This record gives sequence, structure tokens and C-alpha cells, in this order.
Amino acid sequence: MSALHHAAADLGTESLECGASRRLAIWLACCLGVTVLLTALSLLVGTTSLEDSLQWLIYPDAHSSVVLWQIRLPRAVGAWFAGALLGLAGAVAQGLFRNPLADPYLLGTASGAALGVTACLMAADASIGGLALMGQLGVTGAACVGACAATLLTVTLSRGVLQTASLLLSGIVTAFLLSAVTSLLLLTKPEIWREMQTFLLGSTSFISWSSATLLGTVLCICIVPAVLLSRGLDALTLGEDTAQSLGLSLPWLRLALLGIVALSTSTSVGQVGIVGFVGLIAPHLVRETISVNHRQLLIAAPLVGGVLLQAADLVSRFIIRPAELPVGAVTACVGGAYLVFLLWRRSRDG
Amino acid sequence: MAEARTQFAPQPSVLACRDLSVAYGSRIVFENVSLEICAGQWTAVVGPNGSGKSTLLRTLVGLTVPKSGTIHLQGRRLSSWPRRERARHLAWLAQTAAPTELTAAEVVALGRFAHGGWLAHREAEDDASMHRAMRATGSLAWAQRRLSTLSGGERQRVHLARVLAVEAPVLLLDEPTTHLDPPHQEDVARLLREQAHRFGVSVVSAIHDLSLALTADRLIVLGPSGVVGHGTIREALAGDWLSAAFCTRIDIVEHGGVHLWKPALASPNLGR
Repeated sequence: MSALHHAAADLGTESLECGASRRLAIWLACCLGVTVLLTALSLLVGTTSLEDSLQWLIYPDAHSSVVLWQIRLPRAVGAWFAGALLGLAGAVAQGLFRNPLADPYLLGTASGAALGVTACLMAADASIGGLALMGQLGVTGAACVGACAATLLTVTLSRGVLQTASLLLSGIVTAFLLSAVTSLLLLTKPEIWREMQTFLLGSTSFISWSSATLLGTVLCICIVPAVLLSRGLDALTLGEDTAQSLGLSLPWLRLALLGIVALSTSTSVGQVGIVGFVGLIAPHLVRETISVNHRQLLIAAPLVGGVLLQAADLVSRFIIRPAELPVGAVTACVGGAYLVFLLWRRSRDG
Repeated sequence: MAEARTQFAPQPSVLACRDLSVAYGSRIVFENVSLEICAGQWTAVVGPNGSGKSTLLRTLVGLTVPKSGTIHLQGRRLSSWPRRERARHLAWLAQTAAPTELTAAEVVALGRFAHGGWLAHREAEDDASMHRAMRATGSLAWAQRRLSTLSGGERQRVHLARVLAVEAPVLLLDEPTTHLDPPHQEDVARLLREQAHRFGVSVVSAIHDLSLALTADRLIVLGPSGVVGHGTIREALAGDWLSAAFCTRIDIVEHGGVHLWKPALASPNLGR
């Protein structure tokens, strides 16, 4: 054994990395296994009975093929990708703001998306031009534009990305400001409130194969730089000054991480509406179950986020079938219960 | 660590500042400070609370932008150094470290960031540096433990190991003996002296414990109105710089070849 190899063995880094990799591999396998199971179940749950869906799977015809492979499957796949994007954004936001309660909507993206949809629906109602714009953009496009605009507003209000605390405060201000504008607009046009509800409470029913492909592509685009920047997030846990003294460029790091949070959140909100708690809970679940650094967290949190949203979608379609619950309501109930459980456990452990 | 540090030949002045003034808003911390830090020497920075010890170190490492004045690292203006290259030459230990869930080995590995960057995989050389640093600070036994499960003193030794793992020619340490018990404070003092004398490193550390600070090679004494003096321990004692800095009588006695602070318990003066 060479002296250098001996050093690594003494540090325990070899066994540490082996152990962490093994735990992560088990997580990956479990998450992928559950994903396959949930996807299979998603094919069975819909407006038809479970027996009919099973018959469709065994004896497919033209109609059942469309329902199974063009409606239910892309919905299940898209829900997974949307959840994964929220899980990734949550993990990055919690690392960036060094706050375990940070969630992907902290930059005001949810409020921006809601305002975008409201404004678009009102424009469609008001004029032919607005209707044409609505036809081109769609609800998802309007939400995406609104979320991106909100992120830009947050960065502008904080005068760039030099101060994390300013970004945090600007995000909160943006969220309140845009929510207030949305509420005022809805007061003037209460008839669009019902259409807005589907978006505000989250729904996976709009997801087609093209939406699922978009969500999957954005996930690939975001996860690679996020994992590459994971050492920066590790360094940030020691404090911003220490991270800077280690040779990191904090403004560039913040900008890149904000870009990842903004892109993944706005894409997810654009496709499935505002789904709360997934981005907050997924990183917590990973941290509570396996001890991880940010590289491992940024790989595991999207998987957990994907499973969470897919499971919530399944529950929302199953519980009062053939009708559906808003998926955001299900995630809020489960997420809230989990946070209460965490609080109870921490108070019990002192 | 000797083989890794033989490259740092002693230099007359490795870090120097001239007419340095720092202010937080309208509050001036210190004005027109000129110092030269020599290679292969351990310099202790002492002074009362609020005299600007931490600010001086933060300014020298480039974290606080001075109101006026210049700082030169190895003869080159500090602001002209590329970020990572500067981090390889100047290692800094914060007075208080943020809590982290990383393991001790992961924290120490961050000290090697400046050597590899974003895309670099940890090499055997990095492991060797980490191993030397953790062995020197006595933190090797906790390599796999999370920092959140360690005591304050143990955490401080891990952070000191992170700074040593950089293998920089200049170490700027803000209260490196915080949270440490007296024997471990002594260990740290011995370690800093070894870094300076054996490996040619310039060590600058803010230290509250006067007896410990007097074991350094040189003193920078800060008072309420700036630098009282900068020189050898003998010069500091001869000029009674400590009494001037703390605005009260500071008695230093020599015992067994070491200088010890003798507290004047008879007349407490908390209002000084």
C-alpha cells in the first residue's frame, strides 16, 4: 500500500465514499422501483374501473391504447419529471439560502405564474387579440412567462445577486406584491376564479407527451450543472465568507444556482401549476434517511420529488374516482403532516 | 509536511499593507495602518474587544474592502491576484464557523478546492494533504463524523485542519484557540510555531489569551485608536504596548523562560 493510499485509508474517505455510494445506490434502486410500480398503477387508475383498465392492458384496442399510452402514461411520466424538478429546485434553494425551510417558490415564481395565468385569462376574455395571445401561449406558457418575470423582478429588486439575504427578502416582497396584484385582478373579474383554481391548486391533467418531454429535457439541463456546483453548496454551509476565502466566486455561484432554481421551478409550474411542499419535503426526506453531502443530495432529492408527486397524483385520482382531487391539495396534506411529524420528533428528542 | 513546504523559501516580507484604513459606514475601525508580515514567523494580533483584530485579518485576506490603502501579497497587489490563486496563497480561519452537516473529512477536503476547482476529482495528493492536516490538529479520529456531532473544540480543530490542508504560505487565523481547553490551546500554539519555523509559513493569528500570544515571534498590538505597536515580544514588553492598548495596567511576569500575564485582581476595572 503506498503512503498516499494509506492516507486515504486513515482518513476513512475510501470507506466513507464507498458507504455513501452504496446507500445512494440503494436509494436510487428503491426510488426507481417505486417509480415503476407507481407508473404501472397510474395506467390502471382513471375514470374507468380498475377491472376495465386491467382489461384494456391485457386486450388493448384503439380507444384504450389512446387512453393508456397517450393520456395516462405521459401524465404519470410528466408528474414524475415535474416532481423531480421541484425536488431539485428545493435542494438547491435550501443550499443556496442555507435555510432548510427554503422552497423553490421563494423567488416569487409561484405568484408570478399565478399572475401570468390571471392576466392571460383576462386578456382572452377582454379582446380577440387577447384570445389569440392566449391561444398561442396557453395556460402553461403564461405561467412560465409569469414565473420567469417574477424571478427577474426579484433579482432586480435585490440589485443583483451580491447578497443572499437581499435575494431572500426581495423574493418575499415579489411574492406578496404579485399575489396582491393577482387578487386585485380577480376581484375585477370573479368569473375567471374557477378556471384559476385548477392552476392554483395544481393539476397534472394537462400533461401530454410534449409536456413530459419538455419537463424531462429541462430536468437533464438543470441537474448536470447543479451536481457540478455541489462543492460550492458544500462550501456555502461553512458560511459565505469562508466559501469566498476558499476561492469561490459567490456572485457567479449564486447566479448559476438561481438560474437552476428559476428554470426548474418555472417549467414545473408552467406544466402542473402550483404544487406545494414537494420541493420542501423531498430534500428533508433524503437528509433524514441517508446522511449526504450536496452531490448526493442533488441526485437523490429529484428522485424523491418525482416519486412524491407521482404518488400524490395517483392518490388524487384514486380517492374520489372517477372525479379527481387537486394534486396540490394532496401534497399539502402529506407535506404538512410530515413537517408536523418532524417537529414532534425534534421536540421529543430535545 | 516538510517535503510539501520546502518550496517556500523565507522571504523578507510576504504580506504587507500600507496606509490601510477600514470603516463600517461612518465608524472608522482603524486608520493608516502599515504592517509587514515576514515569512517563517508567527505573529499574534492582540488588543481589546472591538479594536479591529478580526477586521484587520478580514481585510488582509480580501474579504473586507478597505476605505483606503494598499495590500501586497508576495510583492503583488492583492486585488490583482486571480481568486483561486489567491486562495492557494492565503488561507483564512473565521472566528466562528457556521454549523454544517458535512463530515470532518468533507470539511477538510474543501480546503483543497483552490487546488482543483469545480471539475477536479480529489487526487491522492489531496488525500495526503488532508491526512497531514488532520493528523497535525489531532482530528483524524473524527474524519467520518459529522461536524454537528462534535464538540466546539473538536470542530475548531477540524476547521484548523481545513486551513492547514490548503498548504498556503500565509495563514490568517481569527481566534484559532476558541473553544479549546488549555492543553489543546498549547498544542495549537506549538503547531503554529512549527508551521512558521519548520515550514516557512507566515502565520498571523488573533489571540485573546495574552500568555499564549506572548509565545509568538512577533506581536501586532491594536488599541482603541489603531495600531499601538508592531514588533518582537521584547519590543512590545519594553514599550509597555499592552497597557497602552488595553488602557489599563497589564503586568507581564517571566517564569521559566515564558511570559505570563498576571491579572490585577485587587482593582477590577470593567469600565475600561
